[in-house]
Parts: sequence; C-alpha cells; structure tokens
Amino acid sequence: MPSAEPGWIQRLARGRVWRSIFRGEPPGTARGNAQAVFQNLWLHFLPVKVRPHTLRFTYTFYLGGIAFLLFLVLAATGVALMFYYVPSVERAYHSIKDLQFVVSFGPLLRNLHRWSAHAMVVVVVLHMARVYYTASYKAPREFNWVVGVMLLLLTLGFSFTGMLLPWDQAGFWAATVGTGIVGCLPVVGKEVRLLLLGGDSVGQNALLRFYVLHCMALPLAMASLTATHFWRIRKDGGLSLPPSQESMASEERVP
Amino acid sequence: MRPDSLGPEPPDILPRSPHKTYGLMALVRGTSPLVDATPEDAVSTWPHLLLRGLICALVCLSALLAAAMLFDAPLHDPASAAETPDPAKAPWYLLGLQELVHYSAFIGGVLAPGLSLAGLVMLPYLDRSHARRPRDRRTGICLFTLFLLANLVLILIGAWFRGPGWSWTTPWSANTPGGRP
Repeated sequence: MPSAEPGWIQRLARGRVWRSIFRGEPPGTARGNAQAVFQNLWLHFLPVKVRPHTLRFTYTFYLGGIAFLLFLVLAATGVALMFYYVPSVERAYHSIKDLQFVVSFGPLLRNLHRWSAHAMVVVVVLHMARVYYTASYKAPREFNWVVGVMLLLLTLGFSFTGMLLPWDQAGFWAATVGTGIVGCLPVVGKEVRLLLLGGDSVGQNALLRFYVLHCMALPLAMASLTATHFWRIRKDGGLSLPPSQESMASEERVP
Repeated sequence: MRPDSLGPEPPDILPRSPHKTYGLMALVRGTSPLVDATPEDAVSTWPHLLLRGLICALVCLSALLAAAMLFDAPLHDPASAAETPDPAKAPWYLLGLQELVHYSAFIGGVLAPGLSLAGLVMLPYLDRSHARRPRDRRTGICLFTLFLLANLVLILIGAWFRGPGWSWTTPWSANTPGGRP
C-alpha cells in the first residue's frame, strides 16, 4: 500500500526514540496506520477506518471537533488563570487588573479564555444545528443528541459562572439578573437560587460557589459527558452518512 | 463453473464433504477479504481524519490567537450592588430570555426555557420518522429554523435595541450603553 506520509515522518517513525514511545509498526502501511490509532490511549476510541464522506468539511464543518478544541483551550488557559485569580470579593477584581497590567502575557491569557468561551457557545449551537439539519439525531443516535443537549447546558453554565469571576459590574449584574430568572422557576426556583448564591444576593458566597462550579464541578461533568458523547458516536455506528448511504451502513454497524 | 480468473484448482486442504455447507473455493492473493469487490469505501483514520483534524485545529488556534491579540476582553468598573447599571443586561446568550422576561416573567423565566429544553431533549423521541432527506422533512426544518431565528432575533434586540429602562433604542443612538460582546 503506498504510504501517505512524507519521508521525514517515516524516518522519524523508524527511529529508536519514536519506537520506544509508540509500539507497533510505524505508520505508512495499512497495519501501521491502524496501529497508530488503536494502540494509542487517546485515539483508541476512534475507528481505524472512516468513510470518506464523514471527512467532507461541508458535511460537519468540523464543529464538534472545534467545540472540543475550544474546551481544551479553555481548560489550558483556565488552569493558567487559576494561578493568579483569587476568588474573594476584595481581591478578585484586582487579580484581573494584575493579569491585565502586571502578569507577563496576562492579557493574552485572559483574552484567549474570554474569546474561546464566547466562540464555544456559538460553535456548540452551530454544531447542534448541523446535527439537526442532517437528521443525525435520528435512530440509532437519539441518546447522543440528549447527551449533546446536556453538553450545551454545561457550556452555558460555564459561561454564566465564569462571567461573575472578574467581579466587575457586567458580571455582577449578569449574575444578579441571571439568578433572578432562576428564581422565577416554579416550585424549586427560590431554593435553587439560594443554593447558587449561598444567600439572598450576589456576594462572597456566590463568588466562591460560582468559582468552584466553574473550575471543578462543571469541568468534571463536561469531561465525563464529552467522553460519553465521543464513545457513543462510535457505538452508534460512526458519524451519520447521507441518506443514500446510511441504510447500507446500518447493516455493518460495529457493536 | 469456476471462472478462469480464480486460477488453478485449490489444493485439497478441505475436501468437499456432503455433510458441510461450505468448503474452500479458491486461494487468491489480495489485501482485503472482500472478493470481487472494489476497495472498501473507507480510508484509514491516520492520516486522513487525524491530519485534517490537526489542520483544522491549527487554523482555529491561529484565529483565536489573532483575536486575542487584536481585541481585549472587556473589564468594567468593580462590582457594586449600590450602582445599578441601566439597563442591567444578562450575558448575551440569555438576552433572548431577558427580552421575554420583560414582557412576562413567567413566559421568559419558565415557559420559554422550559419548553425549549424539554423540546430539545425529547426531539429524537418525538420525531419518530426515519426520513433523512431535507425534502421529506420540510416541516421539521422550518420549525427548527424558526426556533433558531427567534432566539437570534430576541438576542439581537436585547443586545442592540434595548436601552435604559429596557426602552427601545438603536445601536447608533447616544443613550445606548457600551453594551457587551
């Protein structure tokens, strides 16, 4: 089988160091390409082969992958921001000012985090629209759509809790208005609002709760559900195909 | 009759047996167990999928870096419960709901988000048809597009056309607050 890799990848892949890290045949042959995927912890959930149609940019626009990439960028920049940020009413705003004016690459870090966050909300919604328009939520992929809706809610939760953390007027009043809307929920509204705020209004308790939700609870939930979402794509027979090919594919579904 | 393309008779590894419904038909050279079939309609994940993913990631990261270098994330005055900005706006993706709350707290706070969420979660179980071609799903596509557009319009109204006291304004009028991205 002709190799698709440039020569330097192949030379690298034959080297001793490379082969101490990656077991199996180097990529380039059919077996090597397969082993590159299924012998890799981070890739093993992917199928070894995919249908060319699912690679077409105009079918998926790679929106799910981009959403995941944005999540990774947010996690990386978020951890870096946590080194500087103090979730206290007295110090939160000043830690953001420090990031802006004192910390090396602080503005870049914060800007990357902020713009990735906005982009993620947009991309996740677009991803949902793509899945709807290609009818990819239909059997056997119903449950993965539900997981996707939960991921959308988590994304909004991230954005909402993160907005309060700089402790500026915009975030403070967004949280005030937002939790006010939560308070309108029937039966449980007031209790949920109290649970979120740890009091009657947005104060130190609310800041700490939003911080813990933003940096701990939501990331854990997001990582678990994202793993479920990816795993289900495979278990539900891979990405959806155009209607003409789908019936064929359903007979060959990998269990 | 065996076609000539299969080559000579197979060696007698598995002699035909009247008790079996299968037997060795031929030995052929090839890379796939599929006989007489074109190569499988699939490409290997490495490099075809993963390299595309890598390129896509690099393009997106470049765009993000560019945006982060060109535009600064806003930071407003320190939070103060005493100074209520007018209007006090929710984050942009909730502005649609806030616009509805302005008309009715029940509709905007309970009914609209509750129905939207329930509808989205139950969608694959409500829509039981197997139709996948757009021309067979006109109603569904129209409804979903209307749902997205309604959200978009309400968000744009909330972001750009609401001023002090949630009164109508225009993005270019003087009394519109700086707003937020």
